[in-house]
Amino acid sequence: MRALIYSFQTAFKSIWHEKWINLLTVLSVSIGLLILSSFLTVTLNVDSVLDRWAKSFGLVVYLDETLSKKAENTLKDFFQEDTDILEVIYISREQAVNEFRETLGPNASILDELNENPLPSSFELKLKRELLDTASVKKKAAQIEQMTGVEEVQYGEKWLSSLNSLSEILQISAMFLGLAILIAIIFITYNTIKIFFYRRKDEIETLKLLGATKGFIRMPFLIEGLFIGILGGIIGALALFGIHSLIVFKGVEFMPSIKTIIISVPLQIYISVPVAGAIMSFIGSFIAVGKIKY
Amino acid sequence: MIQFSNVSKSYDGDVVFNDITFNIEKGDLAYITGPSGVGKTTLLKLIYCAEHPDNGQIVVAGWDLNKLKQNTIPFLRRNVGIVFQDFRLLFNMTVFDNVALALKIHNLHPKEIKGSVNEVLKEVRLKHKEHVFPQHLSGGEQQRIVIARAMVSKPTVLLADEPTGNLDSETADTIIKLFREINARGTTVLIATHHSELFHGTGRRVIFLNDTRVEKETIG
Repeated sequence: MRALIYSFQTAFKSIWHEKWINLLTVLSVSIGLLILSSFLTVTLNVDSVLDRWAKSFGLVVYLDETLSKKAENTLKDFFQEDTDILEVIYISREQAVNEFRETLGPNASILDELNENPLPSSFELKLKRELLDTASVKKKAAQIEQMTGVEEVQYGEKWLSSLNSLSEILQISAMFLGLAILIAIIFITYNTIKIFFYRRKDEIETLKLLGATKGFIRMPFLIEGLFIGILGGIIGALALFGIHSLIVFKGVEFMPSIKTIIISVPLQIYISVPVAGAIMSFIGSFIAVGKIKY
Repeated sequence: MIQFSNVSKSYDGDVVFNDITFNIEKGDLAYITGPSGVGKTTLLKLIYCAEHPDNGQIVVAGWDLNKLKQNTIPFLRRNVGIVFQDFRLLFNMTVFDNVALALKIHNLHPKEIKGSVNEVLKEVRLKHKEHVFPQHLSGGEQQRIVIARAMVSKPTVLLADEPTGNLDSETADTIIKLFREINARGTTVLIATHHSELFHGTGRRVIFLNDTRVEKETIG
């Protein structure tokens, strides 16, 4: 415990003594984390928009015209029991023609020319979010198409594919950017702590000769690295909060539609920014201190 | 307390010690001497594990250094006080903090550290300079801080490498007197020096090193 107190005292003395280089490191870490968290927030916002779009996505199952009411009900029960399907909406032939009439508006009179209703009854099926990738939807549609009484299954294949591509691109970009920034934070802290380590080389040598353990020598540097990461993270999170608030409150004045797109930054992001900073900086300082040999 | 058995050491083919054997008993005050470059500093380094022998066995305060693991070396060094030739004082710390550092490593309570440091600074007659930084002190005073730092943790063995190197004879006498006082308390003291006047007439053991061997052992 006393060794820990000593380590904290030494670390904070060094932080104060080397305040400018520490300040620069903290700012570099916070800028890196701000970029990362901003990108994550944008990804989350786009994802939420995609999610809202996805909710409106459905498979339209057109039924055989000759299918009896009983057979239609059997199919409905089957769909309702399927755990992949969130919602089943039945559209009768009459409803379909009425909807079509509404869509046609003033031109609806052309429907009167027809002797009989040409539209089949159908089911609109809303699938689970995790099944909304092109391959899964295609597979599901093919399965349903094989069922007795099903004439055709339709869905917006191209639309779904674009939606998924956009989501994938964002996720991959977030992953690479995140990885690059986290490595950069490790490297920034590594450099700073390495400089401190070299500056205090004589002191470390003396400590070793006086009988200091490796932990005793390492600890102040690790605390310093941890401090840099946490402080950088807190500043990054505060900056994110500031920028987000500015967009929400001031951006709306210039672009009112922004309100419908932008979502609030989850608390997890605000917490994970200093945590990520702390972990990466700790790793950086750990590598910088390296192996201590007697 | 310090036992060398058939110890050999060389650097890149240059032999420093060839099969040297000697023994220093607990509570002794002994001198290692010989011409410059004979390996006096290397011999001390072998004792505190800053160097390792190529062959042979070294036992210090009951520790067989051949069997010592990297992680155990600090604990050996806590039993061995060292007065370095180049002092190794930290110039960003006051006299008090330089001496206290040795005890902080031992994880002692601050009150205990303060008491011990004050006591040892009185012994080396530097209590009045506890808040001064080492660079503002004379060579003799710096040397006394190094001795204070080496003795504050009450080691069983105290090693001194040319402790009077650049000091005038009066200051050198004060330093040697300090070593005698430390030894009188039961600490084994080994002083490496090439100044023969330090051990002449002391009645202490003197080990002469020459040409990679222990040339002779006499009483000073």
